[in-house]
This record gives sequence, structure tokens and C-alpha cells, in this order.
Amino acid sequence: MKSATTARITAPGDVTSFNLGLALPLGVAFAIFFVLPLAQLLYLSLHNDTAATVWGLGQYIKFLTDPFSLAVLGSTLLLGAEVTLACLVLGYPIAWLYQRSGSRLQTLIIMIVLLPLLTSVVVRTFAWIVILGRQGIINSVLQSLGLIGTPLRMIYTQGGLVAALAQVQMPLMVLPLITAIGRIDPNLSDASASLGAGSWRTFFKVMLPLSMPGIIAGCTLTYAAAITAFITQSLVGGGQMLFMPMYLYQQASTLQNWPFAAAISIIFLFAVLAIVALFSTLGRRARGYGDAR
Amino acid sequence: MMLDRRRLLTSALTLGAMHAFPGLSLAQARPLVFATFTGSWEEAHKAVLVPAFRKANGDAPIVLDPMLSVDQIAKVNAAKASPPIDVMLHDPGPALVAIGQDLVEPYPADKSTHFKDLIPEAQDAMGPAPFFQVVGLTYNPETVKTPPTSWADLWKPEFKGKVGITNLNSTLGTGWLVEIARMRGGSEANVDEGFKALEELKPNLAAVAANPGALATLFQQGQIDISPGNFNAIQILKARGVPVEFVAPKEGAIAFKTTIHVVKNSPNKELAFKLIEAALSPEVQTTLMNSPYLIVPTNTKVAMSGEIAKVLAKDTAELKKKFVFQDWKKINEQRASWIEKFNRDIKI
Repeated sequence: MKSATTARITAPGDVTSFNLGLALPLGVAFAIFFVLPLAQLLYLSLHNDTAATVWGLGQYIKFLTDPFSLAVLGSTLLLGAEVTLACLVLGYPIAWLYQRSGSRLQTLIIMIVLLPLLTSVVVRTFAWIVILGRQGIINSVLQSLGLIGTPLRMIYTQGGLVAALAQVQMPLMVLPLITAIGRIDPNLSDASASLGAGSWRTFFKVMLPLSMPGIIAGCTLTYAAAITAFITQSLVGGGQMLFMPMYLYQQASTLQNWPFAAAISIIFLFAVLAIVALFSTLGRRARGYGDAR
Repeated sequence: MMLDRRRLLTSALTLGAMHAFPGLSLAQARPLVFATFTGSWEEAHKAVLVPAFRKANGDAPIVLDPMLSVDQIAKVNAAKASPPIDVMLHDPGPALVAIGQDLVEPYPADKSTHFKDLIPEAQDAMGPAPFFQVVGLTYNPETVKTPPTSWADLWKPEFKGKVGITNLNSTLGTGWLVEIARMRGGSEANVDEGFKALEELKPNLAAVAANPGALATLFQQGQIDISPGNFNAIQILKARGVPVEFVAPKEGAIAFKTTIHVVKNSPNKELAFKLIEAALSPEVQTTLMNSPYLIVPTNTKVAMSGEIAKVLAKDTAELKKKFVFQDWKKINEQRASWIEKFNRDIKI
């Protein structure tokens, strides 16, 4: 017994190695509740008929050769890009401000950023219906100022949807940005300024490249959340704007065409994976760019 | 017994498993499980149907497990041999799917007390209809001064940018499309005229909602002033103080049967039958017809009264005259291609 204890003390485990055992519970849960259903989804999608008895690639061919389905995929990916861009442009200054504020203001900013996360997405979405509606806040203000005669149509339009999604997903962008900008040594911008760079030059040459990891993380999160936001898409976007989640729901739920719905999910999954891979490649290149300067 | 760590952990795991999978400890006898719909249906069934069933059957245990038709079908399909649900409730479309997939028992009409009292449309051998859902015209009485009388009123120029509809995902949206096709000479087998009519409706359309529930929000926000709507949904809005009125169009209000079914291989067949009997009984249907539920009865022995008598029909004879029933078997055959066409063509 004594020798065993001494042996353990004298020969500590390699600190760089790790024990897989600790990851086992989560790993098993993942395998059962994520990998297995995904495999089932793939299996289902490889059938040509709704009863899933005839094997074939028919569902994929149907989707990939149908201009309408491809347009739905395209408009979904575009919607994600618009929302991500809006979040980035609006969110970056907030994260910037956070790093340049005193601690009391920082608490306030973090509160304001996190507040939307504390209410359900359904509540936030309904708030946007109230804001954008025909008798909503924006229309009544514009009308009382005499700027417009008849109310503008804002809900059930792409613009309204982008605005609502951008607000709903904003915390996902701002939080990683705050972390990334916080890691930048404030002396760097001073150094840049003392070497004669203007504030815009400092921003584009120093701050932006160094905050790139946060931008990439924020964009990935916002993008994935925006394109899959079934509730906001259907409540603010309406029934005539078709995006992938609603298309999927329609096929699976209303039409009970599970193999086609499964194929849609798999295609959607790969499209999103491709975008995420693109983001992380950009991220790696940007890191190299940041290191080089 | 030594209480060491290992033994404690094992007991904890066992307890946890029993909690997570209650089926382990419940050998065979489980209570009757009734999958009703969520929302106002659940409220109505909890308050009226369940107590009536308990009273008639010596406090037999029953559990309400509210979920959408589609989920009911998926759950029963996943465990056909020992289904987790005993009684299902369906709209016409999903009912045909459930019957087609062999998930339901024929209803034992010969030993039923109430089956023969139902109006003929409700006497379905695979599962009777205890209630109707009724779709007519909904409008905002504050902005629409002369109440509409016909589906055709939706096309009037005065409703430019004021009309709301739903897409074809819902029973309501699909049923309505069939009805406007019929108005112009089409049928359940041919809705081309309906699509032409939709095309002409575009200048009037303010919104195509993703589901009937969203129409309610649009009324509340003043986004739309007139739309096809579900009688029961409108009553709920009215009770909340939203200015909406329901009117049955002269072409006839669309009536959807909500059918109730005994699930095949259910371990509680007898109790399931008893629950359905309670749902068909004039007593339960009368209570559910009155405020605040206002659910349209199918039993001819129920005397119509209240709001339903005022707005819809005074008795079953008038009800049959004013209601239009649709052939969902025919509708289901082509629904997929209609949804596809709607997806492609209806952009505003």
C-alpha cells in the first residue's frame, strides 16, 4: 500500500495526456441522442417512397434538380447572411463601447445585451409584430409626424424579418465580440496612434484583425441561429415567405412525406456546415493575418 | 448492510431510472391515455369530458396527453404493438392518414348508445365525430360596417390590402381553397379555379399567415380586417375584447369533422370506448356547446342554444343546410401538389 502511494507521487501522470473516461457520459449521450437519430434521418432520406420501402437517391435528385427548392435554400442562406451582417454592424460598436466604459456602465451594457435572452423568443417575436404592425409603434409615430399617409407594410416583409431576427439574435454576436475585444492589449492602439496612424487606420489595421476570432465566432452563432429560427421566421415572415425550416415542417407535418423532409434536413445540414467551414477558414486566415502584422 | 459508495450509487441510478422510465415500475395497468389537442380543446376536455367520464365509470384513471394530430400518429406508429395512447383525436386529413396506416380500430357502433343519434355525416365507422369545427368569414366590425355575406366579398375593391388568409399547411387553408374553387365551378378533385381566384385576390391580400393562430394576431394588430376564420378561435378572441365577428357565408360555412378513435392494440379498449361514448353523449355535448366553450355538437338530441343557435344554426336540420362538408379523401390525394403550387405562385 505504502509503495503504491509513493509510486503515484513519484510518477505523476503526464500532464498533457487526458482521461477519456470523464468525457464518456456526454459522449454516450451524444451517441444515443444525436448521432443515432442523425443516422436514422440519413437512412430515411435514402428512400424513394413515403412509406420508406424503396431505396434510392430520389429525394435528393428531386430537391437538387428543382429550381424552386434550390431557391428556398438560397433565400434561407441569404437571409442568414443579411441578419449576420446587420448583427455585426450593429453589435461591434456595442462591444467596442463596452471595453471603453467604466465598470458601472459595463454592467448596464451587459444587462441590456443579456436582457433579450431572459425572455422567450416567442415573446420577443410578438413584440416585433406590435412594433412593425399596421397600427404599430413605427407606423403610428410616422403617421403622427405626418411623414406618411397610409401605414407602411413592414411585417411579412423581408426587411421586417431581418430587423426582428437581428434583434432576437444580437446577444449571440455581442458576447463573443466583447470577449475578443477585451483580449486586445489597449497599448496596441496607442502604439499605432503614436506611430502616426489615424483612428480609422488603427481600426482596420490593428483592432479589426485582432478581434477576428470574436467576429468569426459571433457570425457563426448568429448565422446558424438566424437560418433555423422557425418561430420568428413564420410569425414575422408569414406564410408566403418560405424558408427551409418551414419547408421541412410542411413536408414532414402536413404532408407526412418523411423521406423528402429527411433529405431536406440533410441537405440543409450540409449547406450550413459548408458555411460554418467557410467561416472557420476565414478565421484561420485572419489569425495568420493578425499574427503577421 | 454496508452502505458503501458503490451501493449508494447503484441505488441512486435505479431510482433515477425508475423516475426517467416510469414504465419500469408500472407493470401493465396504465391509466387510459387520451391525446386531445392543445389549447382550448384541452381546457374544455379537462373541465367537462373527463369529469363526465370519471363519474360514469367509477373514477377510472385517465390521463390527458395533449398533442398535435401529427405527433399522435408518430407516437402510435413508433410503438404499434403497445401504443402509448388509447384514444386519438383528429382533423379530417390526419384521420385518413391514421386509418390508412392501420392505427385505429373500427368503432363498435352496435354496442354504442349514442352513435345512431349522431347526424349521418358524423357516423364514421372508423371513429365518430363528437364535434365540428366551423370555418366562415371573420371581420372587424369597427372597420367593416356592412357585414360580409359571401366568400366573394373578399374580392371587393374596398378590402384592398385588408384581407388575410393562411397557407395550405392548415386544414383551414386547404378547406377554404377547395370552397372558393367550388364557388367557381371546381371541386375537391379540381381546384384550378381556386388558384385563379387567389391570383385575382392578390391586390386585396395583406397577409398570408403561416397558421390560423397567426391570423388572430393580425386581427389584434389591425393588420387585416377580414379573413376566413375558425368559429371557435374567433370566440376566444372576442372574449378577450378583440373587435371581431363571425358570419357564415351564404355559400355555407365549411364544417370539419373532428373524429375520435380507439387506437389499435390499446390495452384499455373498453375504457376508450366509454370515453368516446361520453364525448358523444347529449349531456357532454350540451355543456360544451354553451359558453365559454361554444363547440358545435353532432348529436341530434342536443337542442341548439346560445351563440351557436344565433350565429350558426337553430337545429340540426338548419345546420345541415348551412354547413358544407368536404371529401377529404379526394383532397388528400392532391394536397401535396396544391401545397407545392401555393408555395410557388402565391407571393405578395
